[in-house]
Amino acid sequence: MSDAGAAEGPAETLVLPADITDEMIEHCKAGRPNEACGILASRNGNIVKVFRMTNATLSPLRYSLDPKEQFAVYSAIEDHGWELGAVFHSHTHTEAYPSPTDVRLASENVPYLIVSLADDPPSVRAFRIVKANWTDAEGAIQEVSVSVLR
Amino acid sequence: MAVEVRIPTVFRRFTEGSGAVEVQPGTVGTLFEQLETRYPDLRGQVRTADGQLHRFVNVYVNDEDARYLEKLETKVTEGDTVSILPSVAGGQG
Repeated sequence: MSDAGAAEGPAETLVLPADITDEMIEHCKAGRPNEACGILASRNGNIVKVFRMTNATLSPLRYSLDPKEQFAVYSAIEDHGWELGAVFHSHTHTEAYPSPTDVRLASENVPYLIVSLADDPPSVRAFRIVKANWTDAEGAIQEVSVSVLR
Repeated sequence: MAVEVRIPTVFRRFTEGSGAVEVQPGTVGTLFEQLETRYPDLRGQVRTADGQLHRFVNVYVNDEDARYLEKLETKVTEGDTVSILPSVAGGQG
């Protein structure tokens, strides 16, 4: 039975409101030529808010959340009674698929959304990076289906 | 009143799913000792084998980054909130 399971599509779906998707993509476009990044907050499993964040690495190839800004955003999420829904970032010139760097540095146990600006219009895909230990350099990539409500 | 420790999603599988755990006041170091005693699988996740903060972990005591206070020796008193944040990073290259 396990062989049959390997051929199946994503078992999880991330539903994104259109306005939130558009705002996320706009933030990614505005960040060019560098990668852009941010956080999506959820309430009862529903994505409700985009936090546009600073790419502290200021690089077209890498991103990192600024720790102080990350703390402020996590605190805001907590104060509103929301949850961390997803992390997003852009790939400026490559497909919306986790790079070895994305896998190596993945930490949070939420979907990682990738916005590819190499596509026109930009494409959006989501993945979970599953590791035995969060500091492992390697992990399994599990696609999460993205459904945009328009 | 105790100290509240906010647990990020990546460590909740070690805390029986809890996003917030209460511990007794002390220092950031003794706080992690309490957490690791209560949740043994957390050992080695936030701190390295030699007891230092993992380099991909940031710890905030209330609104201050513990690295800029007294790190593991930072005092934590009743009513304080301590937040553990894993660094979030990646990129196409």
